[in-house]
Amino acid sequence: MSVHALANHVVNRFSGRLGFLGLTLIYVLLVAACLGTLAREDELSLGRNPLANLVKTVGEFAHPSFLDVWFGNPQLEYKSDDGTVLRVENRQEVEADYLAGLGRATWTTIRIATLGSLLGALLALPLAVLTARNLAAPKPLAWLAKGVLDIARSIHTLVFGLVLVGIVGLGPTAGILAIGLHSMGTYGKLFAEAIESLDMAAIDAVRSVGATPDQVFFNAVWPAVLPQFVSSHLYVWEFNIRDSTILGLIGAGGLGLLITEATSLFQWGRLSTVLIVIVLMVSAFDAMSRRIRQALS
Amino acid sequence: MSEIAIHLQQVCCIAEGRALLDVGDLSIGHGERIAIVGHNGAGKSTLLRLLTGFMPAAHGRVDVLGRDLNGSPAPRELRALRREVGQIHQGLHLVGRLSALENVLIGSLGRVTGWRSWVRHFPVDEVVGAEAALHAVGLLARATTRADKLSGGERQKVAIARLLVQRPKLILADEPTAALDPAAAGEVCHLLAQAARNATLISVVHNPSLLPLLADRVIGLKNGRIAFDLPIATVDDQKLTNLYRPDEAAPAAPWPMTASNPSKLGRRQIFSNQV
Ligand SMILES: Nc1ncnc2c1ncn2[C@@H]1O[C@H](COP(=O)(O)OP(=O)(O)OP(=O)(O)O)[C@@H](O)[C@H]1O
Ligand SMILES: [Mg+2]
Repeated sequence: MSVHALANHVVNRFSGRLGFLGLTLIYVLLVAACLGTLAREDELSLGRNPLANLVKTVGEFAHPSFLDVWFGNPQLEYKSDDGTVLRVENRQEVEADYLAGLGRATWTTIRIATLGSLLGALLALPLAVLTARNLAAPKPLAWLAKGVLDIARSIHTLVFGLVLVGIVGLGPTAGILAIGLHSMGTYGKLFAEAIESLDMAAIDAVRSVGATPDQVFFNAVWPAVLPQFVSSHLYVWEFNIRDSTILGLIGAGGLGLLITEATSLFQWGRLSTVLIVIVLMVSAFDAMSRRIRQALS
Repeated sequence: MSEIAIHLQQVCCIAEGRALLDVGDLSIGHGERIAIVGHNGAGKSTLLRLLTGFMPAAHGRVDVLGRDLNGSPAPRELRALRREVGQIHQGLHLVGRLSALENVLIGSLGRVTGWRSWVRHFPVDEVVGAEAALHAVGLLARATTRADKLSGGERQKVAIARLLVQRPKLILADEPTAALDPAAAGEVCHLLAQAARNATLISVVHNPSLLPLLADRVIGLKNGRIAFDLPIATVDDQKLTNLYRPDEAAPAAPWPMTASNPSKLGRRQIFSNQV
């Protein structure tokens, strides 16, 4: 029996019904091992009184700072111990300043996500062409490209960010590069899949009239691949808008910075405001990109 | 009729250790109209693909339109040949994401080259020609509809319009009426015959009643070999029935299967024998 036949034999073993049962069993064992070991290490507790904490947190989050300020008392009086008023602060003005800062931070986050996604897509394109199996690029190049993509995909944006802040300093540039490098891995995989799922019948149709390779590319490959590329681009872009909010945590700027601030000062109302902005932004982008993707399909 | 369009000598196509096609000697003159008949898997499509270099011959001589397809012909040579060969395939070869009109214009890629063909900015006369072709097959109203939104029969007609635009010397039609209703089938056969007025036409047909529309000469294939090669007038029902009947050497699996009657055939083969 040749090596090839042997390999086929092994694969067949695992694709049968018994093989599936075996894989399920392995999965169940893994889950059991995870739960069991955590329980033995006594790491499965929920803290001392989770219920009370939950109620308290929900209560604080239910008062987003901007609502609180607009519908509550607008004047905040700073008094000395004997009751004389030292200073009166207009909370509405302070909050308006905060909201303006929030707007700027949102814009920074969007800029980081947008440029980072574009960078990732551009970097991924040649690598995807090299890894797509049906294009049959030279083996060593294909392996190299696949390796680069796998590494990029398995390193978290935050890790890239931490390293890059050390190299290019604090600021959006580090964020853009971090997003670009990590999403390059995701893009590469999606692009390669788009290329691999090409409609070969369409290619044959164009080839059968004696078209040259460039004509085949522009008339059969490109029309089939472009919508898929655009669709994956929107998808990853949307993901990155969400992902880039976290980058502020490491000093890349944007909404994450405000999140760090609010949490470290225990201003849950402000955190709640920031989260509302994030949810609105992400769902607006999601609705938009879904429209576009539908129109493209 | 004097000129030879196709000449095969001792050609054998082999895939996965099996001979798909084994043709001793076959020559087809220019302007002839040939129908190929035979059971499923007889090698009809393989024969057509051999003629355009999509299927290589393991050995033998293949000459198509004065071009030698032996060994591994240069891509440039193959492209030049394919520009002169109009093909309608079983798989309804269209580019799904392009409009009907753009698909028809694919037929002009042999004449339109360079950047124009990349952005599909075709010269006006080609567009006019393509619209005329769509009109001829009765689909001008659907010109801007994407090909994957068309019905099977409509796609077949778009493929024929593409053929009209391509103006080939040799037309290979693999079951051109497979997805069509009887009226449309007759119509498409007429269109094909029209397109083939100045060309050689080879079509694969399963429906005997369409044979006279498309052919003067009928070639029967059985298990990759030529079983008969006769003028249409001498082909009768008896000959066709014989052709489609399974070989005595490999009798059909008895049905239903019983314990005393075990079969080594796979499920798929059993079902195809039933039909
Ligand atoms: N590329 C290939 N590799 C292996 N086997 C092939 C290949 N192409 C065709 N075959 C086999 O060759 C045989 C003939 O196929 P072909 O498509 O020529 O049949 P056909 O006469 O056109 O049948 P149908 O009437 O179903 O269209 C079939 O058994 C098929 O499985
Ligand atoms: Mg066939």
